[in-house]
Amino acid sequence: MASRRRMLLKVIILGDSGVGKTSLMNQYVNRKFSNQYKATIGADFLTKEVQFEDRLFTLQIWDTAGQERFQSLGVAFYRGADCCVLVYDVNVMKSFENLNNWREEFLIQASPSDPENFPFVVLGNKIDVDGGNSRVVSEKKAKAWCASKGNIPYFETSAKEGFNVDDAFQCIAKNALKNEPEEEMYLPDTIDVAGGGRQQRSTGCEC
Amino acid sequence: MQEPELHDLSDDADYAASQQHGSASMMRSNSGKHSSSSEHDGAEVIYLKDNVTIHPTQFASERISGRLKLIKQGSSLFMTWIPYKGQNSNARLTERDRNLYTIRAVPLTEVRSIRRHTPALGWQYIIVVLSTGLAFPPLYFYNGGVKEFLATIKQHVFIVRSADDANVFLVNDFQNPLQRTLSSLELPRALSVASGQSTSVSVGETSSDENQERTSGDVYEGSISSSQYNERQRQRVHDPARDLSIQVLEKFSLVTKFARETTSQLFRDNHSNGYGAIERRSNNQSPIDYPQKASSDSNKVPDKSPVPPDSLEFDKVSLVWGKPRQAPLGSDEWKTFLDYEGRIMDSEALRKRIFYGGVEHELRKEVWPFLLGYHAYDSTEAEREYLRAVKKSEFETIKRQWQSISPEQAKRFTKFRERKGLIEKDVVRTDRSLSFYDGDDNPNVNLLRDILLTYSFYNFDLGYCQGMSDLLSPILFVMEDESDTFWCFVSLMERLGPNFNRDQNGMHSQLFAITKLVELLDIPLHNHFTQHDCLNYFFCFRWVLIQFKREFEFDKTMRLWEVLWAHYPSEHLHLYVCVAILKRHRSKIIGEQMDFDTLLKFINELSGHIDLDAVVRDAEALCICAGENGAACIPPGTPPSLPVDDDGLLLYPQQELDDVL
Repeated sequence: MASRRRMLLKVIILGDSGVGKTSLMNQYVNRKFSNQYKATIGADFLTKEVQFEDRLFTLQIWDTAGQERFQSLGVAFYRGADCCVLVYDVNVMKSFENLNNWREEFLIQASPSDPENFPFVVLGNKIDVDGGNSRVVSEKKAKAWCASKGNIPYFETSAKEGFNVDDAFQCIAKNALKNEPEEEMYLPDTIDVAGGGRQQRSTGCEC
Repeated sequence: MQEPELHDLSDDADYAASQQHGSASMMRSNSGKHSSSSEHDGAEVIYLKDNVTIHPTQFASERISGRLKLIKQGSSLFMTWIPYKGQNSNARLTERDRNLYTIRAVPLTEVRSIRRHTPALGWQYIIVVLSTGLAFPPLYFYNGGVKEFLATIKQHVFIVRSADDANVFLVNDFQNPLQRTLSSLELPRALSVASGQSTSVSVGETSSDENQERTSGDVYEGSISSSQYNERQRQRVHDPARDLSIQVLEKFSLVTKFARETTSQLFRDNHSNGYGAIERRSNNQSPIDYPQKASSDSNKVPDKSPVPPDSLEFDKVSLVWGKPRQAPLGSDEWKTFLDYEGRIMDSEALRKRIFYGGVEHELRKEVWPFLLGYHAYDSTEAEREYLRAVKKSEFETIKRQWQSISPEQAKRFTKFRERKGLIEKDVVRTDRSLSFYDGDDNPNVNLLRDILLTYSFYNFDLGYCQGMSDLLSPILFVMEDESDTFWCFVSLMERLGPNFNRDQNGMHSQLFAITKLVELLDIPLHNHFTQHDCLNYFFCFRWVLIQFKREFEFDKTMRLWEVLWAHYPSEHLHLYVCVAILKRHRSKIIGEQMDFDTLLKFINELSGHIDLDAVVRDAEALCICAGENGAACIPPGTPPSLPVDDDGLLLYPQQELDDVL
C-alpha cells in the first residue's frame, strides 16, 4: 500500500549495462566480488543496516536492468526512492554520456515531489581496470558534470577492489536520509483491512 | 435513442463520464447502410492499426477485434473500424451483433473529443465522443499505437488538448460556444458525401429491427447489468476515493468478481433454456479436448463464453492432480513416431509424450527443431537435410554482413558498435559456470556472440536485448551447430520476440494474463495482491521474460523448455506455471502479509528451489481446471502465440512517438 516503513531508506542504482551496478551493491552489502555476475533481469535489491547519528536505518538498495529498453519498468521500482545512484564506467565514454539520460528518466518515472533537490550520487566505477590506463573519462570532467547538475556528490570506485565503496554508500545513505520529509504525506489508507499490519511504520521518529 | 445498452462498462469511469455529456445511449452504425462509403475513389488510408478491439461485455471471449483506419479523402478525414470476419465464432456474438459495432466512415468533423488512456499496464484505449454527445465503446489498442493515431489526426484536423484534462483531445471544439454551434452545424453538412449522416441516423434506423432480433443472451445480460452499474456510477463519479480505485481498476481492466457473478447469475436465471444450456454442455466436454483447439490458432478467441466458476471451489476441492511425469523420450520410442521417410506421423501424440516426460538429452538435437518450428512435423528427412543446407548458406550470408564491417567503418557506425558491445558484455556473463562455456577464450562464448550479432542483423529492428543470451545458450548447448542454433533461435524469437519489444507489449500482455488467471484460480491470493499493490506482477518479470531460465539449473531449464514448447495442454502453459508457483507459496505470501518489495525478494530467492515436476503437474491441473475461462484470460497474440498478422506494419516499433501532441 502507499505507506512505507519509516526507517527504510530506498536507494536506486542506475547506469548503463555492465558498468558494475550489481557488483557495487554486492561489494557494499556482502563484501564480495565475483566475475560471474549475470546480467540483471528485471530488478532485485539487497538490504543493509546502517547506523547514522545513533539511529539505525535499513538501506534498501535496488539493482535494475541496465538496458534502456527496460526503462518502462522503472515506474514500479523507482517509486518512493530516497536517493538515486548514477553509475558509469570510467573506461567507457558512452556510459558517462548516458548519465544525463538516466538522471532525467529517473526524475520522470519516480516523479519525486521536489525534483530540483532530489539527491543523486554519481559513481565512476572500474578505476582498477588496466591500472587506470584504459580510462577515458577524467575525474575533472565527471566532477564538472556533477557540479553542473546541482553539485551532485561524486566518488571514484572499484567494486572489484572494494575501493571507496563504503565511503560512497555512507554518502548515499546520508543523502537518502536528508530526503526523508519531516512529515510523511501519504494518501489516506482507506482499505486497511490488514488490521495491525502497520506496526512497522514507526511514528516516534522525526528527522 | 433509448434502446437497451449492450455494453457493460461498469468499471469504466470515462465511459460513465462520456455518457454524461449527452444522451445515455451508445452509438452504433449499421454496417449494411454504408457499406460502400468507407473506401471511396481517391481515398487514401493514412493510418491503419490491426487488433483494435472492443470489449462489449466483460467476458474476454466476447471481445471483438478489428482494424482501425483513418482515411483521407480530399480535405476530409474519416475514421473506420471494421471487425474481422469469421475470426470470432462466438456462439453468443453473431455476425449481426458484431456488425452493430462497426464504425463506417465517421467524418472527424463529427467527433467532439477523443479521450486516450495509456495505462502503464494493460492496453491503451481511446474513447471517441461525437458532437452529438454519443460515444463509441472504448477501442483497445492491443498492438499499441494510440499516439500515432492522435498524431495522424493532428496532421489533418484541428485538434487541441483539453485544458481540463491532458488526456482529452478536442476536435472541432472551440472555446466560443457560438463557434462551436456553428461548426457543428456547418461542417458535417459539408462532408455528408461519405456517410456524414451515419451518427444519428443509423441509431434511429437500426433500433427497431435490432430490438426485434435481440433475443440472444448477451443483450439481456448486458442491458440489465449495465443499467444497474450506470446508476451506481453516476453516484460515484465525484467520489475521490472512487477515482483512486478506478485508476487501479482501469490499469488492469479488472472486472470485479462481484460484477462477474452478478451478470453470470442473471444470465443463468434468464436463459437457462437458451445459450446457457449450450454453454453448460460445452463446459462438460472433456477438458483435455479444449486446449488444443485454443492453441491451434493463436488468433482465435475461445469460441465458448465462460460461466465464471466460483474460484473458491478450487481452494476447497483439492486440485485434480496432473498426471505423473514419465521418463524422457528415448531414441527407440522416437523412431516409432516417424514414418519411413522420416515424417512425424502424429505430431500431437508426440507433443503430448514430450509434455509428460521431456526428451533424453542425446535426442534433443533432433527433436528441438520440430518443437521450435524450425522443421515442419510433416517434412521428410530429405527435405530437412535440404532445408538445413539452404539455411546454412543463408546464415553465412547474414553473418558476413556484420563480419565485413571494417574497424574504420565501425568508427562511423555507432549503432553497430553499441550493439556489439552490449552483446559482448552479456555473453561473457551467460552460463559461464557451465563447462561448455567456462574458461578464457571459450569458443562457445564466441559462438554465442556471433549468433546474437547475426540475429541482430537478421532482425535489425528488434536488435539485441538483454535476456536473449539466456535464451540462446541452451539452444547452442543442444544443437552445437552454429547455423542450426541460429535458425532454432530465430524460430523461438518468432514467438518470444515481443518479450523484448521496446514498448514491452509482449511482457505486459503476459503479466496481465497472469493477473487474470490468479483472479480466476485463487481469489484470496488475488485479493492479497490487490491489497498490497502487487497487481503489476513485475515480480514475475524474470520468469516470463526468459522462460524461467534463471529459476532452474541448466538441465532442468532444458527439460522445462521442451515441456513448454510442446504446447500441450496449452500454448500458454508457462503462465499456468507462474500461477502454480505462486499458489505453492500462497500461504506464506498471504500469511506473512508480503508487500511488493518483500514479494519480489521472495520470488527472486526462489531461484534454484523450485520443484520442476511438481510445478509442471500443478500447472497442468490448473490449466485443465481453468479450461476455457483460463484461455479467455489470455489476450490474443500473447507470446508465445505467433504475432497476429500486422499486414506489413512494423512488428517491432522502434519507438513511441514521444509527445507528438
